[in-house]
Amino acid sequence: MTTTTPRHSSWINESLVFARLQFTHWRRDPMVPIQSVLFPTFLLICYYLLVGKSVMKITGTDSLYGLVPTCAIAGAFSGALAGALPITFDRDIGLLSRLWALPVHRYSALTGRLIAEAGRTVLSTAIITVVGIGLGLRFHGNIIAFILYLLVPVMVVVVFATAIIGIAVRVRRGTVLIWIGIPAITAVFASSGSPPVESLPSWMWPLLRFQPMEPIVGSMRELALGGLPLWELVLGLLWSIGLSAVVGPMAVRGYRAAAESGGIRG
Amino acid sequence: MTAVAVLTERMVRDTLRDDLPFAILAPAGNFVIFNFALRNVIDTGGIGYPQYLLPVIIVQVTLLGALTTVDRAAREHGSEFGVRLRTLPIGIVAPLAARMMYCLIRGAIALLATIAIGYAFGFRIFGGPMYFAAFTVFVLTLTLALSLGADATGVKISSAAIGRRGGSSQILLVPQMLLVMLSTGMAPAESFPDWLHGFVRYQPISQLTETLRGLTSGEVGIGNLVTSLAWCVGLLVVLGAVALRMQRRTP
Repeated sequence: MTTTTPRHSSWINESLVFARLQFTHWRRDPMVPIQSVLFPTFLLICYYLLVGKSVMKITGTDSLYGLVPTCAIAGAFSGALAGALPITFDRDIGLLSRLWALPVHRYSALTGRLIAEAGRTVLSTAIITVVGIGLGLRFHGNIIAFILYLLVPVMVVVVFATAIIGIAVRVRRGTVLIWIGIPAITAVFASSGSPPVESLPSWMWPLLRFQPMEPIVGSMRELALGGLPLWELVLGLLWSIGLSAVVGPMAVRGYRAAAESGGIRG
Repeated sequence: MTAVAVLTERMVRDTLRDDLPFAILAPAGNFVIFNFALRNVIDTGGIGYPQYLLPVIIVQVTLLGALTTVDRAAREHGSEFGVRLRTLPIGIVAPLAARMMYCLIRGAIALLATIAIGYAFGFRIFGGPMYFAAFTVFVLTLTLALSLGADATGVKISSAAIGRRGGSSQILLVPQMLLVMLSTGMAPAESFPDWLHGFVRYQPISQLTETLRGLTSGEVGIGNLVTSLAWCVGLLVVLGAVALRMQRRTP
């Protein structure tokens, strides 16, 4: 009898299988597509119709270039939240423990989830950008700029989703996640440039300039306008690496504990 | 104690602890966010933005509260407990009445919370006590009407998969957002693109927020008052009838 030693590359294949599982879930239970595509799309349309004319009058610039990235990232965040809600349930019924016992790489369920989040973010960002083009956005950058433009939200959302998963595997009930989503999405909105920073109280300015979402939305805006915002991209990358160094181990450890718990109803 | 009172008490004890933070923080959060984001952007023509914004926040919170009612009604009606209630010798509308009592309590708490946060940011009630009473009655009538509609929706979908999962309210977020954000409650009609003016002026939430704003300042136009009253009473009658009909359905 011969045993085949699992090759290291199997991790990637197994992760892709788990990623496809997520997409199947989302197709059947449309809460995640609603949160990540439908909701931000309408938010973009409504908010632009509401403030577009007034911001144009005050600042003379089109707020659309800030709003499209804002809504794309806000949507990706709320999609990540909606996607993480079932994790608590999966843990309690013992599903995570069963996946843990499968003859696949143990963390492939976790990485598969993150791959699915990344794929979903690319899709939803593209869709929201197309809607933005319908509203009057013109992408001035070249193809490389567009690829970067699509990858920037992926970078943020993967970190955010890791943090959310790390929390979801620990909490007793999923509703706690909603409370985490509110400050995150507010931070995204605060950096859209749609309330011009000067119109806000001065004690808020440093908070707005140095929060992690600022370089992200700022760099997407610059890319859409045809610039190459190297400094902001690097700053965004540093924020992402720094945060993932914190939330990554947290998620891995929490996931392991949840998977080894065996569930409470299973 | 009557069945309605018992069921209401159960509802309050069971749900309010989870629901209360949402009932209080949703208006506070929305008010603060919109106030900061829009107060120097939107030209309201003289009145301060907190004063202008508060009515639409109340209406929005009422709508969001109604969305949670959809999920709650779907869960309760579809659960084993709901089935058991329908076998008991109590009125068939007792569970509905209890849910509505709960919605009114929740609505009153949300209203108080909104006014409290508004006061902190410079909102003031200038009309007399009669105007304030009318204001409260308006908000609670709207709460009741929307909750009845939400309850009927919840009961209707309680047997479908989406009702059991509780995702139904997510879809309803979109029409809610369209009505609230594209209304004169957020900004005067002139701030919107020209082609949208007709919708923005005459849609119910614009009318309602104009009335509520008028009641806080103590002067309200008769035509606008009649329109809002017609909307509230009309919704109450129609949605009430639908909700009552829904209770008779047996699975």
